[in-house]
Amino acid sequence: MQVHELVGAVHEAAWLPWAVQYFFLIAVSATALLTALPGFLSARPGGIRAARLALMAAVTTGVAAPIALLADLHQPGRFWEFFVYTNPTSWMAWGAWIVPSYVALVLAFAWAVHRPGFHAAGARDWRFAPLYRLLALGGPGNGFAPWLGLAAGAAAAGVLAYTGMEVMVVRARPLWNTPLLPLQFAATGAVGALGLMLVLERVLCRDGGLEAQLNRRLALALAIVGALGTLWLAAGLSGLSPRHAEALASVAGFPVWQRIALWAAAAILLPFLLALAMPRRTGWITGLTAIHAAWMFRWSVFMGGQAVPKVGSGLYDALVPAGAAELAGVIGTFGLWLFLAIAYTSFIPWSDAARPAAPVRRAARPV
Amino acid sequence: MDTTRRGFLGAIGQVSIGAAASVAGADPAAAETGAPHWGMVVDLRKCIGCQACTVACIMENAVPEDAFRTHVSVYELVAEGQDPAMVMLPRLCNHCDDPPCVPVCPVGATFKAESGEVLVDASRCVGCAYCVQACPYDARFINHDTQTADKCTFCFHRTQAGLLPACVETCVGGARNFGDLNDPECEVARMLREHQVSVLRPEMHTNPNVYYIGLDEVLDGRVAGEAAYRPPFDAAPARHGEGL
Ligand code: SF4
Ligand code: SF4
Repeated sequence: MQVHELVGAVHEAAWLPWAVQYFFLIAVSATALLTALPGFLSARPGGIRAARLALMAAVTTGVAAPIALLADLHQPGRFWEFFVYTNPTSWMAWGAWIVPSYVALVLAFAWAVHRPGFHAAGARDWRFAPLYRLLALGGPGNGFAPWLGLAAGAAAAGVLAYTGMEVMVVRARPLWNTPLLPLQFAATGAVGALGLMLVLERVLCRDGGLEAQLNRRLALALAIVGALGTLWLAAGLSGLSPRHAEALASVAGFPVWQRIALWAAAAILLPFLLALAMPRRTGWITGLTAIHAAWMFRWSVFMGGQAVPKVGSGLYDALVPAGAAELAGVIGTFGLWLFLAIAYTSFIPWSDAARPAAPVRRAARPV
Repeated sequence: MDTTRRGFLGAIGQVSIGAAASVAGADPAAAETGAPHWGMVVDLRKCIGCQACTVACIMENAVPEDAFRTHVSVYELVAEGQDPAMVMLPRLCNHCDDPPCVPVCPVGATFKAESGEVLVDASRCVGCAYCVQACPYDARFINHDTQTADKCTFCFHRTQAGLLPACVETCVGGARNFGDLNDPECEVARMLREHQVSVLRPEMHTNPNVYYIGLDEVLDGRVAGEAAYRPPFDAAPARHGEGL
């Protein structure tokens, strides 16, 4: 039987590119924080330089993300209702509590890690000394930082869990309703975080050893993303998982989706091979491609997912940004991030950040 | 209660004589069981695709230009060796008994009313559009005049006043039938008893309250096949100008 739709309604995307920006930034932030923690919390030497960049990435994207989220609300002025009328059956309602906790804990952890630096800057004789004295809150001690770090790490895990589940539970969109999605969000988030760290390394450090170290980690994250993608495809093609099969069927057969699949494969394979073969001197290209891959994954999932009609025929136009306002949202969010990154590197003694000092124990008094 | 247009109004008339303040649901059966359970039966054999319901709904509910609470999809089906057939499919919110749009709402702004309608409290809705994503029927949208979630209400304001929903009232072919599914005497209940009916996307287990007589199963889910002509991308109306 042949079917031709003669009259049908077009449904515009209800989650705008702001949502793509939010999910991209928050995943980069959460995975960057989890990457930073071992460097700051373990006694193993060597990880601290990467950890500094990771923390920078976590803080700057973590602050920018909720702003993009707020912009995606059609009634941003009512955001307070999330906290007054929390509906426990909604993952989004949980997210409303998890995200601010996460951002607050990341900021608190970053403050604690940099407290000795703030204190030192406050002790110098210069124009901004009073400001840094204020920031240091009267001392250099940061023995409590590991606890803040662990709490922020738990909140980061919460962020990854809720963002994945929030999208995964939407049965009405087969492309979203796949059990692998939360893992894919987390793994591509790590790819984006490492990509961002590589770019930051190229701009701020230019240290071949660190570049190689980050490239090797990136290769591992890309391998995980590739493995998850292969698993997704295999589960769909074999029909072993009906939900993956349905997801695949919802987009297979559309040339635009075949191009997206090829593009995504290239965006994973290219930096993977480069990072493995030439871990030095490729940081710019692997880093930028990795950021692109993580971002494009979300664009395809969110805008592409909304381009698939639930009852109508064909595809809607959501895959392509619909005009200047949407592009402005994307560019504006990245601009905000850039501003935060410049502020962070200008005002925070980030390159002095060290493993938090163990709490000073009182000497045992002689009895 | 009778639910053809004439019957529905007739029943209201009878009730109104006895109790001036009575509304649509105030028939004897409903009085015993409490609230009515509104439902719709669409007899596709009678739909002529005139879109009078689409227009009536827009006028009644001030639906903005770029959206629909209800519309009639029109398909051409060409079966092997047969002449092409034109098929109409009126679409609207199914007022599901297990509505996936309700549990996802982060602030509890969308809810199921006692009489079965799934409604949105626009004064509470934060416009997050999670419900728009969760509805398997594309029955919801963000209303850019109110910046909140919008959808068919089964014309709650009209049924409260003893009137039929605007689309039913205006249906030229008499395809749309509305009434209390709890009332065995009601026309829609009788239609459900006497006809084989189907619902859209039964695999979603949403338990819709909109039933169809004569629905071809190639149309009950996401309809495969060629899409209707859509204006080219740059001719599409601008979405909406939100900013930070
Ligand atoms: S049709 Fe959609 S909007 Fe209406 S009740 Fe069902 S899930 Fe909710
Ligand atoms: S758009 Fe409104 S009704 Fe829908 S889930 Fe969000 S707050 Fe609830």
